[in-house]
Amino acid sequence: MPQSDLPAALRALSEGGVEFVVVGGLAAVLNGAPVNTFDLDIVPARNEENISRLLRVLDGLDAVYRMQRERRLKPNASHLSSPGHHNLITNCGPLDVLGTIGRGLGYEDLLPHTTEMEVGGGVRVQVLDLAMIVALKEELAGEKDLAVLPILRRTLEEKRRGGG
Amino acid sequence: MTEPEPAPQADYSEDGVDLTLIRWMLSLTPAERLQFLHRHVNAILTIRELNAAK
Repeated sequence: MPQSDLPAALRALSEGGVEFVVVGGLAAVLNGAPVNTFDLDIVPARNEENISRLLRVLDGLDAVYRMQRERRLKPNASHLSSPGHHNLITNCGPLDVLGTIGRGLGYEDLLPHTTEMEVGGGVRVQVLDLAMIVALKEELAGEKDLAVLPILRRTLEEKRRGGG
Repeated sequence: MTEPEPAPQADYSEDGVDLTLIRWMLSLTPAERLQFLHRHVNAILTIRELNAAK
């Protein structure tokens, strides 16, 4: 039995009509970077209707906050409307719902820097472009970001050379 | 007159990144990349679980 099912989580979000951008490690992988990641990071649109759709999907995925998991604290509309980060665990694995990333960039700011990708089974999602991922990681410059930057930069170069 | 042979592509970048791995990933579709990651992550989690049980 799989302990993580990133494709199923993406399918649930997509079929639930949630507007979101895939960011972080999975966005890097979908762009062709050979890096590893165990969670799904998304930045959703934070309007009322979309938060309602997101909550319905999260409920279906049995999402609770990872911290103090035994308390089974579920996210609510007020939580998800904030610009903060919500580190959840679902029946498809870890899912981080990020209100904003970088210097306060939300869904609408990120959307022009995304590409729609088909990720299997007809599911199409908006994925943050590699150039933007690199720019954000350069800005954050945390140890984890710096460690992966050389791979992301070379992947971007290869893509620009027409490699994929 | 024959065309000059293109210069061979380097396998590693100057900062040590395996470019062959990047080229292989770029040869896949996004759906194939997701499936590869999915299998890879679950293989690692299974190995961790087996070793934690010892």
